Amino acid sequence: MIPELGHVALILALQLALVQGLAGLLGAARASSSLMALARGAVVGQLLFVLAGFLALTWSFLVNDFSVMNVAEHSSRHLPIEYRLTASWGSHEGSFLLWTLLMAGWTLAVLIFSRRLPADLVTRVVGIMGLLSFCFLAYILFTSNPFMRLHPAPANGRDLNPLLQDPGMVLHPPLLYMGYVGFSVAFAFAIAAMISGRLDQAWARWVRPWTLVAWSFLTLGIMVGSWWAYYELGWGGWWFWDPAENASLMPWLAGTALLHSLVVAERRGALKVWTVFLALAAFSLSLMGTFLIRSGVLSSVHAFALDPLRGLFILVFLAIVIGGSLTLFARRASVLRSARDRAGAAAEFKPVSRETAILLGNVLLLAALATVLLGTLYPLVLDTFDLGKVSIGPPYFNTVFVPMMVPVLLLLGVAPRLRWGKSNLSVVLKGVRWEALAGLVIAGAVPFAFGAFRWQAALGLGLGAWMVLTTARSLLTRWREAGFLSLSALGMGLAHTGLAIGIVGIGLVSAYQSERTVTLRPGEQAALGDYTFVFRGVTEVPAPNFSAMRASLELGREGKALDVLQPEKRIYRVSRTTMTEAAIRYGFLGDVYVSLGEPLPGGAWNVQLYLKPFVGWLWAGALAMFCGGLFAALGARRQTEMKT
Amino acid sequence: MNLWLGVSVLVLVALTLLMVPLWRARNLSGQNAGLSDGSGLSPPVSTASSSRRWLTLGLLGSLPAATVALYLHLGAPTILQEQALTQAHAAYDTDAMVKALEARLKEKPDDAEGWFTLGRAYIVLQRPAEAEQAFARAAQLAPKEARMRSQQAEAIALASGSLQGRPMELIMQALDMDYEDEKALELAGLAAYQQQQWAQSLHFWRRLMKKLPKDSEAYEEIGRAVRIAERKVVEASGLGERARLEAPEKPKAPH
Repeated sequence: MIPELGHVALILALQLALVQGLAGLLGAARASSSLMALARGAVVGQLLFVLAGFLALTWSFLVNDFSVMNVAEHSSRHLPIEYRLTASWGSHEGSFLLWTLLMAGWTLAVLIFSRRLPADLVTRVVGIMGLLSFCFLAYILFTSNPFMRLHPAPANGRDLNPLLQDPGMVLHPPLLYMGYVGFSVAFAFAIAAMISGRLDQAWARWVRPWTLVAWSFLTLGIMVGSWWAYYELGWGGWWFWDPAENASLMPWLAGTALLHSLVVAERRGALKVWTVFLALAAFSLSLMGTFLIRSGVLSSVHAFALDPLRGLFILVFLAIVIGGSLTLFARRASVLRSARDRAGAAAEFKPVSRETAILLGNVLLLAALATVLLGTLYPLVLDTFDLGKVSIGPPYFNTVFVPMMVPVLLLLGVAPRLRWGKSNLSVVLKGVRWEALAGLVIAGAVPFAFGAFRWQAALGLGLGAWMVLTTARSLLTRWREAGFLSLSALGMGLAHTGLAIGIVGIGLVSAYQSERTVTLRPGEQAALGDYTFVFRGVTEVPAPNFSAMRASLELGREGKALDVLQPEKRIYRVSRTTMTEAAIRYGFLGDVYVSLGEPLPGGAWNVQLYLKPFVGWLWAGALAMFCGGLFAALGARRQTEMKT
Repeated sequence: MNLWLGVSVLVLVALTLLMVPLWRARNLSGQNAGLSDGSGLSPPVSTASSSRRWLTLGLLGSLPAATVALYLHLGAPTILQEQALTQAHAAYDTDAMVKALEARLKEKPDDAEGWFTLGRAYIVLQRPAEAEQAFARAAQLAPKEARMRSQQAEAIALASGSLQGRPMELIMQALDMDYEDEKALELAGLAAYQQQQWAQSLHFWRRLMKKLPKDSEAYEEIGRAVRIAERKVVEASGLGERARLEAPEKPKAPH
C-alpha cells in the first residue's frame, strides 16, 4: 500500500512540476497574477509529493518490503537499520529521487527567501526549475522507477553494495547533490535574465548567496568523497583523477570561477555576460557529472546499450539543457550587452585592476577545467566509437592541471590587494614583496626540516605561505580602513586560508609519504619511519551482515606504546564481497595508516604500512573553505536584504 | 477499495494546493484591479477571471484523469489483491492441512507419524500447548523414537519459556535413545549455554554441526553460536587475549 501511494505521489509531483514550469514561465511572460500564484502553489505541492515519495521508499527499506524491486536489489534482512535508512539513495533510482527532493527543497527556498525580488523574475526562476524537476521526475518514472514491484516477493534482498555501507558514502551523495542542485538556481536566474533581457548589478547580488551555498556544499561533498576514498579503499590515496572524481571537480571549478565573476558583476557591473555563461556552465557540468556517474557509462560505455531508453533520455535531456541554454545565450548575449550599454552601469576597468586579475583567474580555471574535461571524456569518446582504449591517468592530469593552478593561486594573493578599476602595478608588487620573499624562503628552507628537499613540498609550502600571508594582510588592511570586517570578507579570508592549508597538506603528503608491505607472523614486528608495528595476530569478529578478520598491531615510537591499530578484512555475507577496512591513527602532523593484505600459510599475513604526513590538512582546509563559503553567503545575503 | 481511497486523498491534496493560491490571488488581484483601475498594468478583470475559470476547470478535469491513467500504466494497482490472495492461500493451506490431519487422526489415532506431523504444524502455527499433546501421543505410540521426545521437550519449553525441569528430562531420554538426534543436540547445547557450561554446549553443538548440511541457514547459525561459545571457553579458562588470537591456528581435522 505505502509503495503504491508513494508511486502515486511521484506521479502527482510530475504533474505539479509541469504546472509549476508552464504557469511560472507563462505567468511571468503575461504578468498574470493567477498563473504566478498557481506556480507558487505548485512549488509547495511538488516538494510535498516528492517528499512523500521519498519517505514511502525509505519506509519500504525500513520494513524490508522486498516486493519493491529497488529494496530487493539494494537491501537485505541482515543490513543494519542505519544503512537500511540510507539505502534509499544508494541505488540509481533512489539517487535521482534524492536529487529531485533536494531540487524541490531548493525551489521552495528560492520562493521563501526571494520575497523582495520582482515577482516576475522569481516566478520565471521557479518556472525554469519546475521544468528541470519535470524532466528529472519523468526520467525517474519512465526509466528508473524506484517503485517497481515484484510478485511474489523474494524472501531476502541482494544486500546493499558493501562500498556504500559506510558513513562517508552515506553523506557524500546528499552533500554533492546539494551543490549540484544549488547551481540550478544560478542557472535558472541566468536563463531568466536572458529571457527578460534584464541583467544588472542587482541580478548578481541575488544570485551570489545561492551560488555560495551551493559551492560550499559541493566543496564539502568532494571532501567527504575524497576522505572516504582515503580510508576505505585501503591504500591511503585521496585523489585518483578518476572520471567519477573529475565529474565533481569540473562543476566545482566552474562554480569557483562563477563565484568570483559574480563579485565583479555585483560590485562593478562588469563581466555580466561572462557570468551568465559561467552560471550555465556550472549547472550543465553538474548535470553531466551526475549522469556520467549514474548512467553506468564510466564502468562501461556499453552500459547504455543495456537500457537504451535511459541513455536516450539522458542524451536528449543534456542536449536540451546544454544546447538550449547555449543557443539562448548566443542569441541573447547581444541583447544583454546592449541592455548593459543602455544602463551605462558597467564601470570601465584597466589592464591592471582587480577585475582583470579575477578575469585572468577565471580564464585559467576554465582552461584547467577544459583539460580535465578532455582527459575525462576523450577515452569515453574513443571507446564509444571503437577507436581503441586509452587510459588517461594521474601523469596527464598532474602535468597539465597543476601548472595551470599555480598562477591561479599566485593571483589569489595579489587580487585582493588590487583596486577596482585601475591600480598601479609597481605599487601593488611592492606591497606584496615581503609576502613573496617569505614564501620563497619557506619554500626553500622548510623542506630540509623534513629531511630532504622535494619540489612538491617546496611548491606546497611556498604557495601556502604566500596565500596565508597575503590573505591575512589584505584582511588587516580592510579592517584598518573600514574599522570592521564584513562577513563576506571574513568568508573570503577563511576560504582562501582553507585552500592554502589544503595546498600545504597536498604538497607535504605527496613529497614525504612512505609505505612498506611486510609479511608478519604473530609476535613479529616491522618498522617504518620512527614507528614500530608489532603484529598480534588476527581474530574473527562476527557482525550482523559480514564477518571480519581483525588484525591487531601495537603501534609504538621510540620504545613507547602509542596505540593498537586494528585493520580488518570483511567478507559480506549476502554479496560475498571482500572489503578492506584500514586502521588509521589520525594526527595533526600526519596519519599512520595500516591495511591488512592477504593471509599466508603458517599464520602469517601481508600487511601494508603507510605514513601520511599532513594529509589531514587537506580535509581541514576543505572544511575551512566550506565554512568560508557559508560565511560569505550570509554576508552576501545581508547585503541583498539591505539593498533591495 | 483502500488504495483508490488513498489515491483520491492525494489527488485532492494536490488540487487543494493549486486551487487555494489561485483563488486567493483572484481575490487579491480583484481588489488591486479595483484600486488601480485604469492603470493598464493588470489585464481587465473579466478576461482574467474567465481565464482563471478555465484554468480551474482544466486542472480539476486533467489532474485526476492523468494521475489515474499514469498510475494504471506505470504502477501495480493489482498487487495488493495478489499479495492478499497469496497470503490467504498459504494460510488456507496450513489450516486445511491441520484440519484434515486432525480428522484423520480421530479416525486412526495410533498413527505416531501423523501425531508428529500435527505437532510440527502446531509449532508453526504457534500453538505449543496443543503441539505438546500431539508429541506426547507420538512419544507414547513410538517409545523408541528420540525425535518425538526432543520435539515434545521443545514444545514444553516454548510454552513455559524454560528448558529446565521436564524438557531437560525429555532431552536426556532422547539422547539416551539416539545420540545423533538433531533437535536434542541443539536443545542440550542451548541448555548448557544458558547454564554457562560453555565446554558442554560446544560438545553438543559441534556434534550437531557435523550432521547439518553445509551452507544451510541452520548450519551458519549454529556455527555462529559455536564461535561465541569458543570465545567464552577461552575467557573462562583465564588464558585471555593471547590464547584467543592463536585459536585459528589449531590444526584442523582432515576432511
